[in-house]
Amino acid sequence: MSKPVTDADVHAYADRQLAPERVAEIEEAMVQDPALAARIAGIEGQNVWLREGLAALLDEPLPQRLIDAARPKPRRSLRIFLPVLAVAATLVIGVGLGWYARNALLRDAGMPTSFASEAAFAHALYASDAKRPVEVWAPEEKQLVAWLSRRLDIPLHAPDLNGAGYALVGGRLVAGNEKPTAMFMYENSAKQRLTLQARKRPGTGETAFRYAVEDGVGVYYWVDDRCAYALAGSLDRAQLLAIGRLVYQQLAAADDRR
Amino acid sequence: MVVDPPLPEPEMLAAIPRLRRYARVLTGDPTRADDLVQETLARAWEKRRLWTAGSDLRAWMFTIMHNLFVNQLAAATRDAQNVSIDGDGDGNAAWQLPVRATQQTHVELLEVLGELGRLPAEQREVLVLAAVEEMRYEEIAKLLAIPVGTVMSRLSRAREKLRRATSGVPDGNPAPVRMLR
Repeated sequence: MSKPVTDADVHAYADRQLAPERVAEIEEAMVQDPALAARIAGIEGQNVWLREGLAALLDEPLPQRLIDAARPKPRRSLRIFLPVLAVAATLVIGVGLGWYARNALLRDAGMPTSFASEAAFAHALYASDAKRPVEVWAPEEKQLVAWLSRRLDIPLHAPDLNGAGYALVGGRLVAGNEKPTAMFMYENSAKQRLTLQARKRPGTGETAFRYAVEDGVGVYYWVDDRCAYALAGSLDRAQLLAIGRLVYQQLAAADDRR
Repeated sequence: MVVDPPLPEPEMLAAIPRLRRYARVLTGDPTRADDLVQETLARAWEKRRLWTAGSDLRAWMFTIMHNLFVNQLAAATRDAQNVSIDGDGDGNAAWQLPVRATQQTHVELLEVLGELGRLPAEQREVLVLAAVEEMRYEEIAKLLAIPVGTVMSRLSRAREKLRRATSGVPDGNPAPVRMLR
């Protein structure tokens, strides 16, 4: 003879939170007691009614102010950090000098380090645009690639990122500091967007993947013998790197075919 | 430089639709709901040291939102003594029923929001967390900082009240027609 059915049992059964052995006992009791069965069915029906009714709220488009609020804030209360600031400032100067030297070295090596920040900026500008994020949409991919290749004067290729869950949205031409930049935009089912940006570069030699975070946008950038590439998105570093490798492999394969 | 650990941004973004839905159920008003969500996100960034990496970010943000909401209600109660946040009164006077349906708003949504609006806030919270967010009772108790027994009694009262309110039907099923679809 099992324990009597309590109010808590009824709710936990309807909410699928009951231990399996107890579930069997309740189901047995429901067979014996139609009133109990009806009560549980009533609660389950209520749950479905609530879920289905409120589901519509999940589909409402997100206001930009909430997207912004979900992203990191550079501002911070000064008052609390004042004692730390003096130490930090000293560090910053040191690190800054080192960073400046590194940038200068990279620039001499033909690596446009400003490219990462420009790419992050262009990403933030266009990926947040709901209506017109691209100039040419994915259905006209061939024309898009041909057009951008012509404008940049290098053969381009839009990688297929469907394997990573990102479909091509389209692309556009972006004005860069020195050179025009081609942008391909991708989107996953959660409407998160990635952009791959490419521009022609002078000089020779490849560089390894480099990573930077600019205004909350992660950017992987690298250079091959023809182009500088930047992959930008609000993903964490590991995810972005995984997609970056996918892009790199596809671009290398496309190069080999030429 | 000393930098607080960042919150995982994709997860933050992914949590917004559910936070908005919960805020809408709490406040009953789209604009106040989004204000509450925005405040919740801002507070999450301020307090990010308190979040343990790898733990449930959504539950943590729901907790923040609950606390903000309770504070807002307390402030509203101080301002106007006619707001009831507990007991089996006539629900929350600050609650605003949606007045008209826009094209995107479903009739079912308005019905559900209308019925939920008649429940006291504390019952509404427990009901939505259990039935819609499908959180475990222990999780809800932790989130609301109340004993599990209180979760169960609020849940029971909320469901009974909703059943009585929605049953033109005697068998207790609040929505037999909808169930058939």
